[in-house]
Amino acid sequence: MAQEISFTPSTVEQVRAAVADTRASHPRLLVTGAGTASGWGAPAEPADAVIDTTSLTGVLKYAPSDLTIAVRAGTPFTTVQETLAEAGQRVVLDPARARRGATIGGLLATADAGPLRTAFGSLRDLVIGTTVVLGDGTVARSGGHVIKNVAGYDLAKLFHGSLGTLGVVAEVVLRSHPLPPAMCTVAVEAGAVEAFDLAGKVVMTGLEASALEWSGGRLLVKLEGTPEGVEQRERELCRLAGATARVLTAEEADAAWAGVAAIADGVQGTTVVRIGTMPAAGPVLVTRMVAAGAAVASSMAIGVHTVRFAGGDHDELLTQLHAEFGAAVTVLRRDGLSADRGWGPPPAPVRVLQAIKRQFDPAGRFGAGRFSPWLEDEERAS
Amino acid sequence: MPQRLHAEFVEAVGADAVASDPVALRSYECDGLTGFRVVPSLVLVPRTAEAVAAAVRVCAKHDVPFVARGAGSGLSGGALPVADGVVISLQRLRSVVEIDVVNRRAIVEPGVTNVDISRAAAPYGLYFAPDPSSQQVCTIGGNVAENSGGAHCLKYGFTVHHIHSAEVVLPDGSTTVLGGDSPQLGGYDLLGAFIGSEGTLGIATRITVKLLAKPAAVKTLVADFPSVEQAGDTVSAVIEAGIVPAAVEMMNALAIKAVEAAVDAGYSRDAAAALVVELDGPQAEVDAQFAQVKRLCEEFGATKLRIPASAEERALVWKGRKAAFAAVGRISPNYFVQDGVVPRTQLATALTRISELAAGAGLRVANVFHAGDGNLHPLVLYSEAAGEHERAETLSRAIAELCVDLGGSLSGEHGIGTDKVCSMPRQFSEDDLATMARLRLAYDPAGICNPGKLLPTPRLCGERPGVYQPHPLEAAGLIERM
Ligand SMILES: Cc1cc2nc3c(=O)[nH]c(=O)nc-3n(C[C@H](O)[C@H](O)[C@H](O)COP(=O)(O)OP(=O)(O)OC[C@H]3O[C@@H](n4cnc5c(N)ncnc54)[C@H](O)[C@@H]3O)c2cc1C
Ligand SMILES: Cc1cc2nc3c(=O)[nH]c(=O)nc-3n(C[C@H](O)[C@H](O)[C@H](O)COP(=O)(O)OP(=O)(O)OC[C@H]3O[C@@H](n4cnc5c(N)ncnc54)[C@H](O)[C@@H]3O)c2cc1C
Repeated sequence: MAQEISFTPSTVEQVRAAVADTRASHPRLLVTGAGTASGWGAPAEPADAVIDTTSLTGVLKYAPSDLTIAVRAGTPFTTVQETLAEAGQRVVLDPARARRGATIGGLLATADAGPLRTAFGSLRDLVIGTTVVLGDGTVARSGGHVIKNVAGYDLAKLFHGSLGTLGVVAEVVLRSHPLPPAMCTVAVEAGAVEAFDLAGKVVMTGLEASALEWSGGRLLVKLEGTPEGVEQRERELCRLAGATARVLTAEEADAAWAGVAAIADGVQGTTVVRIGTMPAAGPVLVTRMVAAGAAVASSMAIGVHTVRFAGGDHDELLTQLHAEFGAAVTVLRRDGLSADRGWGPPPAPVRVLQAIKRQFDPAGRFGAGRFSPWLEDEERAS
Repeated sequence: MPQRLHAEFVEAVGADAVASDPVALRSYECDGLTGFRVVPSLVLVPRTAEAVAAAVRVCAKHDVPFVARGAGSGLSGGALPVADGVVISLQRLRSVVEIDVVNRRAIVEPGVTNVDISRAAAPYGLYFAPDPSSQQVCTIGGNVAENSGGAHCLKYGFTVHHIHSAEVVLPDGSTTVLGGDSPQLGGYDLLGAFIGSEGTLGIATRITVKLLAKPAAVKTLVADFPSVEQAGDTVSAVIEAGIVPAAVEMMNALAIKAVEAAVDAGYSRDAAAALVVELDGPQAEVDAQFAQVKRLCEEFGATKLRIPASAEERALVWKGRKAAFAAVGRISPNYFVQDGVVPRTQLATALTRISELAAGAGLRVANVFHAGDGNLHPLVLYSEAAGEHERAETLSRAIAELCVDLGGSLSGEHGIGTDKVCSMPRQFSEDDLATMARLRLAYDPAGICNPGKLLPTPRLCGERPGVYQPHPLEAAGLIERM
């Protein structure tokens, strides 16, 4: 095997050259961003070369009036937010990893999102165009610079959650939103079941909460909008939620949301998984996880739960979760898992996943191991 | 069609679900884009998802091309039959299987109309957000295939933002489920890539859609302007003020005249442009921002503001807007609907260029747009009888390609279908298109699922697909093609 080397391209053309020129010499590539999610999915197998995207940075085009921004994929998410903030805008996404320097490409490749997913989804819902580089050096664009666009297939969707196994995401065009002039967080003491009921009521009353996150025995409700609107909604929410509702000060709110992010981050020695369920199945699951000693942050209204286990060996727990929730379980941090622990039962369309891998990466160049065992045969196709 | 094959289809779906007499076949020869017509060999109207799968298995076994069909309201020739193929109509699969109130979703069959989902959800205070103007007739299967939008997609997004999962019959006749109970699912976003794939990756046979709670408050205004440019500037000002309206629609003089002739919706017949702005959400948010929108309209020269006082009056405003395409039939014997998108800041340039192109062609163009997201629906008016067809078609294509040149897209919601397939090389390079073809090959290696649509083929568009040439502005680094 060739000696492992690292490429740090700073333009699409350099990505293309690095990928194309190494076809024979370094067939197996690992795409890396800031390294904030190296534990996601299954462990990557050793590669012959690394395509390090951390120099693939910069805003290519920002049109505030069109609410769109085009960036190179290695740009840290926080840099994008800073650029947008100068024009009073943001990308409505708040993944925990942003604070640790996660890149736009890495966030897209991991399908990551934070509590704002309740109202705004993930990058899947915010990316309007991509440029990708495939293993044979093909540079392909899809989507564009306009928010509304149905011309051609939306390839960005395939790269959402691809964990670096289809190719390199080199450029991304994102939809931006105006920054809300006012915001507040209301915390309501509640068990998981009560929190789920309350979250449902908040949704049905049309309060348009941006986030409804249950964690540590309370439901955190984020309200964003005009100062008048936020104030009115805050009052209505407190009325709805009863005596334990409390409007947090700015510092308290920051601390509360940082606590939620810390669960996704994990720390040395922990295992972190994200589990998807029917929303109504959330309370039972999270109650059980809490009873088993886990820390949980749950987007109650949409059934996305981030669970952190501390101390020891979590193989058995993961086996149980896989049996119950199948492909809706993603590992985010794997300190308590055996080294070769991969994904659980595959999703129903696993044959389609495999066919896509074969079409986009027929030589099996990218990210071998990341989807183990779902893509094993395809990775050996070469 | 050979007798043996016919018999296999009968066995797959039942004799009463196979239509082969010439009159029945004729009624499927086109969709809403009536300029293209192909009579299929056979039409299947299965009653169950299993029968759909059985029919596709027969197609796969014998390499028979098939085309899924919902209501046939598509405007890009997506459901245009293939001559030697079968049409699989989903019209009989039209039950709302379940409204799951707690999880705010509905499980529906693909032939259910868009509006029937909201109707079924209404007793629970819920609705399905995407609202194409054709919502009374178009099916959810068609919406999924086209990633349809509607007047309210500026705030609420498109069909792709409102689907949890879909049971799909793949082109080999096997059945799978894309998506899941929540957005959290390992692997590539196959559901997202399926939505908007124009019936080329498989047939959706059961769809779980997201339902939203009705907004607490809704406020709408209609503002008349002395020019479309002023109306356009107002839209930009609203967006720049940080407001995301639920909907911002614009009509030009010709479109207003047509609508009033057809519906009498109360638009001012003498206005050069009318803007419909709707805000929805929590009461205090709506109140604060509505005041701001009113102020901006006045500042930018609105000559009249009309604020519907009741839900009925508001419905009438929307009835007028949604009837615009049909209404144009009142003022012209024939018309083409275009569907290009430009970055919103290019709206004024696009409109000026469209007028110039129209003047050059000696034809009239009525304009209806989803102004908030730069999605234009120029309606090219012409007379078949007067021999204007070809000129109108050329003008219509020139308008779509103009949108691409201005940094936009060939289609905002109606799809590429048959209509725009040969313009695709204008927007995408050969490598882009070849990469898209890889996705199609992954699903349909035999090439039997709605062939000829979405991606250009040498057979349809000449020896080679038109060669990609960078636009002068692109070469100069002023615009980018993505
Ligand atoms: C000391 C040390 C220890 C290490 N230990 C481990 C280990 O235990 N396990 C392990 O797996 N790796 C390990 N690595 C490898 C290292 O973590 C990789 O550099 C890491 O995968 C990079 O971060 P990331 O790409 O996951 O980060 P992110 O940027 O968060 O990327 C996450 C995922 O997205 C993909 N991705 C990122 N950017 C793009 C893009 N532009 N286009 C397409 N896909 C993209 C990646 O392939 C990855 O799957 C270690 C490295 C060092 C230096
Ligand atoms: C007056 C008028 C106004 C319109 N306004 C709008 C608008 O505001 N916004 C908008 O987005 N569109 C609009 N349209 C276009 C059209 O209504 C939409 O594209 C609609 O989604 C098509 O649905 P359908 O059931 O008629 O599909 P069809 O026309 O029957 O089919 C459309 C495509 O979907 C495929 N298809 C159908 N069912 C399935 C299925 N179950 N599985 C897989 N593929 C399938 C077909 O093969 C075809 O490619 C309008 C059309 C008209 C006539």
